[in-house]
Amino acid sequence: MPTTYYLMLSFALFVVGTAGVLLRRNALIVLMGIELQLNAGNLAFVAFSRAIGNDGGQVFTFFVIALAAAEAAVGLAILVGLYRQQQTVNLDEARLMRG
Amino acid sequence: MQAASFWQSMVFLVLSAITLGLAVFTITRTNPVAAVMSLVGTFVGLAGIYASLSAHFLAIMQVAVYAGAIMVLFIFVVMILNRDEVAPVSWRGILSRGLGVVTTAWAFSFVTLLVVRAVSPAVGDGKIEGSGALAKLLGVPADVDVAFGTVKSIGKGLFTDFVFPFEAISVLLLVAIVGGLVVSRSAKQEHHAEAVADRDKAVRAQIRPSSIVGAGAEEADAAHSHAAAEHH
Repeated sequence: MPTTYYLMLSFALFVVGTAGVLLRRNALIVLMGIELQLNAGNLAFVAFSRAIGNDGGQVFTFFVIALAAAEAAVGLAILVGLYRQQQTVNLDEARLMRG
Repeated sequence: MQAASFWQSMVFLVLSAITLGLAVFTITRTNPVAAVMSLVGTFVGLAGIYASLSAHFLAIMQVAVYAGAIMVLFIFVVMILNRDEVAPVSWRGILSRGLGVVTTAWAFSFVTLLVVRAVSPAVGDGKIEGSGALAKLLGVPADVDVAFGTVKSIGKGLFTDFVFPFEAISVLLLVAIVGGLVVSRSAKQEHHAEAVADRDKAVRAQIRPSSIVGAGAEEADAAHSHAAAEHH
């Protein structure tokens, strides 16, 4: 398969993730949208790594996976803290730092 | 360079349909558990695509770490915060946020079109009509070595060329652990932790007054020198 197709899939995944982040107000779904965006980036990494025949791109994908794990852990901890304080995970109601 | 076979195209088509369909499913569900499950499906589809790109080890790790560990974390939090959603989509500022999505889509499709036009591969047989490095990069990739994407070659990369980022990632994970613990503890736990810290500080001040840094340092130093003077 030409690498172009993989890039198109990666692009489509990224747009879906962006839509999830920007349009949904449930903080959990927003975090999942961020995961989708990271995975779209991973797909482009792997596709290019295959295209140039060098697996450095795959090593980078591992780093991104570790990063996503860290992000998910901290993001979900913040979510639990937010829920403890305000009994909501709706991002429209979480306006403590909006001034 | 060889043309993509019928079966290769079919595998890609089916896997990308699964991946994209479940991704859309993920962000449209009002039930968080359904969303998490769709996301797991998305990651499994992506793992299949990675395998078709000869990234075998990565495909396994995608399932084990993403679909396994990270999604279990999500499920745990969903269970803790089991709340029905009042309004899935908020209409506050929907114009600007919708515009953000459209702009992202436009920018990315623009880049994709540009790239596709630059090489203009005849769809199907993978023939590249453009020329130069870009055409070579975006066409059907050449066959790779059998060792490509195996544990051995990835591990070699991790511990030679990428050893510094590898170590940096371990620091990042440590920060994430500590950050997660600190952020998610309750007020009661926080007070308890502060009480323990104060007690430790008092004990330390008794044992070795010079070890106290910050506000109490001069005080402790003064007391220490006073005691020393008396001793003389």
